[in-house]
Amino acid sequence: MPLRRQRRALATLGSAVLLLTGCGGLSDDEVGRLAEKFAGGDAGVRCDLLAPATLATLVDEEATACEVAIDDVPLGSGDLMSVAVWGEEAQAKLSDDTLFLTRTSAGWRVMAAACRPQGPDQPYDCQLEGS
Amino acid sequence: MSGVRWVKDNSLSLGFGVLFVVTLVGQAFSGAAAFNADRISEGLEQISLLRYVTSSSFAVDMMENWQSEYLQFFLYVFATVWLIQRGSAESKEPEKTGIETDREQKVGTYAGEDSPPSVRADDWRTTLFSRSLGLLMGALFLLTWASSSVAGWAAFNNEQLGSYSDPVSWVAYLGQADFWNRSFQNWQSEMLAVGSMAIFTVYLRQRGSPESKPVGAPHHATGQTG
Repeated sequence: MPLRRQRRALATLGSAVLLLTGCGGLSDDEVGRLAEKFAGGDAGVRCDLLAPATLATLVDEEATACEVAIDDVPLGSGDLMSVAVWGEEAQAKLSDDTLFLTRTSAGWRVMAAACRPQGPDQPYDCQLEGS
Repeated sequence: MSGVRWVKDNSLSLGFGVLFVVTLVGQAFSGAAAFNADRISEGLEQISLLRYVTSSSFAVDMMENWQSEYLQFFLYVFATVWLIQRGSAESKEPEKTGIETDREQKVGTYAGEDSPPSVRADDWRTTLFSRSLGLLMGALFLLTWASSSVAGWAAFNNEQLGSYSDPVSWVAYLGQADFWNRSFQNWQSEMLAVGSMAIFTVYLRQRGSPESKPVGAPHHATGQTG
């Protein structure tokens, strides 16, 4: 098969996979940038990047403003290691933390943070999450 | 051919084509509503209808059904060459099991002037054309099953992340219960449908339907339709 046809066939197959999986490379970049901003930001920045449900849960449980409550959460601030985006949800692994993000009308937001793995096939234990 | 005549001559495929579109639209709306209800209960934002119909959740719900339909027809087309159900409208007569003679199948020297060109060619094209229905159904099954595995993998990983778990690779997904549960739950209904039709048409009738024996045909008569 000529090279041009091979490339066209691969592009078609790749597009089909992207369509079926609802994935897009642009989202990976957006999530990565947001995760780095969250990891390197102060309490105010981090609170702005929380998903509404997570923000509400934090404020309700700690009975104080987010900027005060979030300082008590052992959040990581390390380098971004990897990003995985699947539909409306994403995961960003930092060198010292794992974040779970969700897509909102305002863009990607952090749904859960300070997450530690519990073993294979087990969900992460997250100290900051929405209820 | 007039337009009205054309519509009448193709009313079966057109009718089911319209039904397919109507039911697919219904699936889109009801699926989006159910998907968003789950997101609301999990404290997440709803998504638009457009976003839903381009999501892996919609894709897997569609593909897992398509693959089972094509598997059903693939198996049905091939199985009815060799397997019989005495008395059924869905079966050949017992003495005709197998691929039958050239005379019965109107190939080779028995091809007529109005036989399809591939048959009159009497070469490899005839061999391929003789099996084209099953081959197409089989190919469509494999294609849609592969598609459902990809879409299912994406939908599974979407749920994984939503429940704060790691996503898995496509190969790992093929070993997950989710993939096989989706496959088997669809396959069982298709096999039930074919098996039911095979036996129902022995004893029951639907006047005027080519899927039924003639109303007055005896129960032991096999392969009669209309």
